[in-house]
Amino acid sequence: MTDPNVPPDVNEPGFYTPVGSRRKFFQWVTGAAAAVVAAGLAIPLIGYVISPSFKRREQVWVEIGSLADLTVGAPKQLDYVTTIKDGWMETTAHKAVWAIKQADDQVTVFSPLCTHLGCGYRWDDPDRTFKCPCHGSVYDVTGKVLGGPAPRNLDILPSKVENGKLFVIYKEFKAGLPTSVEL
Amino acid sequence: MVSRLYEWLDSRLKLKSVERTLLDEPIPGGASWIYVFGSATLFLFLLQAITGMFLAIYYAPTPDHAYDSLQFIENQVTFGAFVRGLHHWGASGMVMVIGLHMLQTFLYGAYKPPREVMWMVGVALFLIVMAFAFTGYLLPWDQNAYWATQIGINMVGTVPVVGDLLVRVLRGGETLGALTLSRFFAVHVLFLPAILVTGIALHLFILRRVGPAGPWQGGFERRQREGGGSPAIVERRVRSSETFYPRQVFMDAVVMLGIFVVVGALALTVSFPLADKANPSDTSFVPVPEWYFLFYYQLLKYVHGPLEPLATWILPAIFFLVLLFWPFIDRNPTRHPTSRPFALGSGALFLVIVFALLGISLRDLYAVPHADPSVAHGKALYVQFGCAGCHRIHGEGGAVGPDLSYAGDARPDRDWHYRHFRDPQSVSPGSIMPKFPLTDREISDLTSYMLSLKRSA
Repeated sequence: MTDPNVPPDVNEPGFYTPVGSRRKFFQWVTGAAAAVVAAGLAIPLIGYVISPSFKRREQVWVEIGSLADLTVGAPKQLDYVTTIKDGWMETTAHKAVWAIKQADDQVTVFSPLCTHLGCGYRWDDPDRTFKCPCHGSVYDVTGKVLGGPAPRNLDILPSKVENGKLFVIYKEFKAGLPTSVEL
Repeated sequence: MVSRLYEWLDSRLKLKSVERTLLDEPIPGGASWIYVFGSATLFLFLLQAITGMFLAIYYAPTPDHAYDSLQFIENQVTFGAFVRGLHHWGASGMVMVIGLHMLQTFLYGAYKPPREVMWMVGVALFLIVMAFAFTGYLLPWDQNAYWATQIGINMVGTVPVVGDLLVRVLRGGETLGALTLSRFFAVHVLFLPAILVTGIALHLFILRRVGPAGPWQGGFERRQREGGGSPAIVERRVRSSETFYPRQVFMDAVVMLGIFVVVGALALTVSFPLADKANPSDTSFVPVPEWYFLFYYQLLKYVHGPLEPLATWILPAIFFLVLLFWPFIDRNPTRHPTSRPFALGSGALFLVIVFALLGISLRDLYAVPHADPSVAHGKALYVQFGCAGCHRIHGEGGAVGPDLSYAGDARPDRDWHYRHFRDPQSVSPGSIMPKFPLTDREISDLTSYMLSLKRSA
């Protein structure tokens, strides 16, 4: 290319426009520049828009009580306060899960929602069963379905005991399915 | 496929004549790299518009959430820091490219008849861009944003008669708060873009009506010799032209790509973390403005007392009025720079003042090199003399004296510290700070340490 400031016929009257391979070259570079800028913007921007949509919620161990508060074989509803992240907002929420201590100090923690349609169930001490007030599902102390429309046993939450303290990861599961599917 | 679709549409919408009008615009004297700044400005505006739209996806314009939502963009969203970086550096780039665009127009005398209105619309567009910068700066709602806006609004308050009213309208109330943030947000993302797009359309419409000015040779002189016809028509007749497409488009495209690469590289490599969240009760915070306002920030330091309105509104008002009506002030019909000593002299004087002020300001801001050994020595003296008994640096120390976390930003002047260490009461009457028995060397080192305490360090 010659000096771009001086087209060949600058002193001639009338229009000048590049032709042939020079014209092709300018067209090609213009197109390439546009493509690079478009791709350089499109890729980050698409990632920017979709990334939080696919981010799994952070799963954190939350302390919900001490092992000493539980009696072997007697389910107890443990209330606790947890922090929930919603984008840039952090809110606190009350959760209540059912915990049962086994004879060997192992603890099973059940999700507090009935597997049928997600109602909160209760412990019936005289019957020694969990009963759902909504549609009458019944579970035994191990979470097994004894009756009613519930399609599967109670969902078990990951739990651990450290230094006599009980920790869980709170999760929710899809209601109405024969197997546990995490939300 | 695409060309067949185009043919089909063209047979109905007559697109080819539109294409010809857009691309075969004559460029008097031929395409040139010196004409790229207008297109570059338009490109940066589009970049700002696009990145701004995407930032708005996660941004929340309330004092409770604005800062957190930006932290979320920075730290949680994929490419979030990159998109914010593009918007941040794109804003700087826009100011820079507009400056070059105006400089080129000025140097080429392209504001002269018949293009006076185009120049005036351009000046109005420049003012709108400044309004973008001002409103956008508050949105992150960090300490810098809050206190810089506070100062900007207070400067408006020095305008006589209507000052108080303007301040209230800007804030949307008595204090800078939730109402201020939401109206700044609305103005930044809805009102100003609408106004700017209209202004750009007008600017380009005028450009197509009068045509580009072309090189400064010939033009007016020849028109005056030959006479007859409107200035634009005569100018085009006497000069050879090249079509806008493909060579000027090619040059514009190359420059746009270059700008994108530079802005993108800055966004990827230079981080600009948020300051602490805005704290209206922390009055010790001294904000430092963006680089393009630094010259003005420096000017404000020199003007105090009864002269203050001079810097806060009289000079800016005169400047913008002169700029706006410049085509009518400079009546010299020649466009060649060597025949315009008055115009170029005033332009050069203005630039010299601006860059001198910018230089002084930058020198003050970056006075102390980070590796300066006197800084370390000064820090040791600070500990040795128990300064922390009264002063606090980043949360450590007493709260009796002023917080020194950003002493270098608050007091960038070395001399002030020298005098202050020798005799605190001499520069700060009523100060309860004792006179310490310090040698000149110790004073110098302590001063270096004080000046190193900056946000940018």
